Amino acid sequence: MKRNRFLLGAVSGLSVVATADNLFAQALAQTTLPGLPGTSDRVFVVINLQGGNDGLNTVVPHGMQQYYRFRPTLGIGQNDVLRINDQIGLNPALRSLKTMYDNGQVAIVQGAGYPQPNHSHFRSTEIWQTAKPDAYVRTGWLGRFLDDASLPRENLFNALAVAPVLPECLIANNCDVPAIGDVRAYRLASDRAGAGAVMAFRSVVNDKAQPFTSPYLATVAEIEDHAQRGSAELPKLIAGYRSDASYPATPLGRSLALAAQIVGSRLGTRVLYVQHGSFDTHANQKGVQDRLLAELSNGLAAFYSDLAAHGNDKRVLTMTFSEFGRRAQENASRGTDHGEASPMFVIGGGIKGGVYGAHPSLDVLDKGDITFTTDFRRVYATVIERWMGRPSAGVLEGSFPVLPLLA
Amino acid sequence: MNARPSPYRPPGHLEIASALAPYRGPWNERLAAHLLRRAAFGGSPQQIARVAAASMDATVDSLVNFPNSDMLAAPPEGYDMDLRFNRGMSIEQRKAMRKRAHQTLLGMQMWWLGRMLASPAPLQEKMTLFWHGNFCAAALQKNIGPRDAYNQNAMFRRYALGNVRALTQAVSKDPAELKYLDNVSSVQAHPNENYARELMELFTLGIGNYTEQDVRESARAFTGWSVDRRSGEFFFNQRAHDYGPKTFLGQSGNLDGSDIVNIIFAQPAAARLFAKKLLSYFVYSDPEPELVDALAGVVKKNDFNMKPVLSMLLRSNVLYSDRAYRALVKSPVEFVVGTFKTFGLNSFVPNPNEAPLSMAQAGGKPPGIAAAQGILGALARMGQILFYPPNVKGWDGGSAWLNSSTVLTRENFASAIMNSQTMMQSSWISDVPMGAKDATQRLVDGILQGDASAAAQQHIQAYLSGSDVSALGMLSGENYQERIRGAAYLTMATPAYQLN
Repeated sequence: MKRNRFLLGAVSGLSVVATADNLFAQALAQTTLPGLPGTSDRVFVVINLQGGNDGLNTVVPHGMQQYYRFRPTLGIGQNDVLRINDQIGLNPALRSLKTMYDNGQVAIVQGAGYPQPNHSHFRSTEIWQTAKPDAYVRTGWLGRFLDDASLPRENLFNALAVAPVLPECLIANNCDVPAIGDVRAYRLASDRAGAGAVMAFRSVVNDKAQPFTSPYLATVAEIEDHAQRGSAELPKLIAGYRSDASYPATPLGRSLALAAQIVGSRLGTRVLYVQHGSFDTHANQKGVQDRLLAELSNGLAAFYSDLAAHGNDKRVLTMTFSEFGRRAQENASRGTDHGEASPMFVIGGGIKGGVYGAHPSLDVLDKGDITFTTDFRRVYATVIERWMGRPSAGVLEGSFPVLPLLA
Repeated sequence: MNARPSPYRPPGHLEIASALAPYRGPWNERLAAHLLRRAAFGGSPQQIARVAAASMDATVDSLVNFPNSDMLAAPPEGYDMDLRFNRGMSIEQRKAMRKRAHQTLLGMQMWWLGRMLASPAPLQEKMTLFWHGNFCAAALQKNIGPRDAYNQNAMFRRYALGNVRALTQAVSKDPAELKYLDNVSSVQAHPNENYARELMELFTLGIGNYTEQDVRESARAFTGWSVDRRSGEFFFNQRAHDYGPKTFLGQSGNLDGSDIVNIIFAQPAAARLFAKKLLSYFVYSDPEPELVDALAGVVKKNDFNMKPVLSMLLRSNVLYSDRAYRALVKSPVEFVVGTFKTFGLNSFVPNPNEAPLSMAQAGGKPPGIAAAQGILGALARMGQILFYPPNVKGWDGGSAWLNSSTVLTRENFASAIMNSQTMMQSSWISDVPMGAKDATQRLVDGILQGDASAAAQQHIQAYLSGSDVSALGMLSGENYQERIRGAAYLTMATPAYQLN
């Protein structure tokens, strides 16, 4: 009742004192979360590099002569590469990430992919998001993690997608995940006949005394309640967060800034999704990819400095993925076409920095594509088991050996 | 087959003996509205009253014996465009062609939504949507251009209440489908199994009703079923076809794709699959196996002709039972089209609150929703983009439509409609009686057929009378219309409005 009045005050333009919702935040912080000791405070951030990022020009195999034969115009010279060892180095656009690598904060997983790779953006994205290369399933791998971890149902922010549309990886059976492209847009329309009335109406949405029955009634009522309450409360719950970090002034920069804000506001959020792209560089690749990689690199540096300033850097593990890498041989338009394996970055948290897995061969190709050397589901299993502290076999519906990249 | 029922099968007992027998109970506005929601994307209070005054039988007769709908608007310019890239085309030319195809498809989405809204044959559109979700192909993938998407849509409409076997034969020669499932590159030396597999797994039989060997053999039968590069039409490439003997589901011979389809439709599983899908689409989720079997018998008896099957289903006791009432979740398309129908609108008003989604924002979803404005942007955020099913399995439906983001979009959509110029000038709104009690009654009846809790009705009434503490409490008499529209929005924010 008290909160109801508080919310009405908010929409009629009265000044808002945040105490009412701080109570909510404290209640969440006090909730004991299931899982192994120490893991309940951990957050996993996944960044989708949409469109198929060219792995060969991200982690550059400058020690393989074949690379330069495949990339006569796009090849990154040995003197330009940010050297990691005699074989590989990073694209010079990844300077900030290289600094993090040198500080031991970055693991590089080489040649990530899956058997019988699909070259369609849509299907391959779906495969990475559902972790099911051989079946069509509704739930995503992180959605199944959320279901399995049985997080407190009353928390509206167990997981959150910083995107206007819920990505498949976060589709769960029993956990409602909000997708928020922009906090200002994630709200009930607030004209005079809008948000205030509906918020005040909230109590009756959940009314069980309907003049009809429906097997979907409870679900609809719960989700309407989440939508109305969550959209009203989120801006207030994160309003107290202050940051001096300088993020790139791009959608990715804004997304990562919001992610840091949510982590720092301690809403009990365990999983965050962020997207970046598009990396679909069929023509004139260099300018586009370099810009996107620089944004990623600078964005991640700002993100971790923001997190560190609030003592959250050790709480957050970040992973990048892309639906596929690109063809080894560049095309006639100084671009690259859809390929197969590509590297992943795993950053922060308890990472043991370094290079994991073998770089795919450039001598033996699969119809012009480099072949995967690490099943991406091994990385997922590592995250679920070693970072989130849950068994992975049920979530991934299969047993995938973990990689030794987390302490 | 004895899987545990999902939580979304309605509780209570199924009277299987009389389930498909004609309903002879009382006929009223509540059931009339129910039938219109299920078979016609909903209706205005006047339409509901008309149907209630007529009989159920007469209404179903006019739904299944639908009139010619040729007078409806033609598809937008460019609908016959191919997505065909020549070797000599520059990157810019390719980009421009893709962009033009995207724009055309946006127009085609609005065109189809317009048909759903205004067609005198709404069941035809409802079944067109059903087939779209069964035999999936997504535009702009694999060079599926506007023409392919349009022709497939026209095919679904032509066969809306026709014969499913004949439709499946047509689908097997449909350029959009053959491209989408890679049959265009299926040749004797390298049969591509994608079409053959999905034909059985998703389109007709369901997993467990065939073997991997059947997939391989039927893939051989479809080799050479391709699309002519020049004309863009179906093309049987004899040189690529495997003329050798094949054994499929126990039958041997020099089988081709057409034989495969006929053998599939002789399997009991085919009638069951369509019976189950029809029940889940028109009646309730996760129908009991005995109900599926009963309807499968009807499907079989009518040799897969949909008209007599739907004619029976739309008159059946089970459809008008309490267990089926409000037992489905409105799909985004049903929600949007249904809203316009409820308010008696024959065309779409702009929905200014929904900004376009770029492809990147849409999470790598098909680019056709880039620049989608208004209604199309709202539909994309609700999770349904016509001509772009998410994968070959189609839309999952049911609870998959519902999460806090999609529901927020639904509520904001309702708000935007109620604040539109069109609703400001609507006689639907100006005809609502003045008193708060009567007005509440009108809104709850007209929008929800009374399906709101007593507490919700009291709340709406309080809001209308200004005794509510909400922001509208300040409104005076001359702003009463605005308050009516606000109350209509509240009515649309109740759970029943999400249910079909």
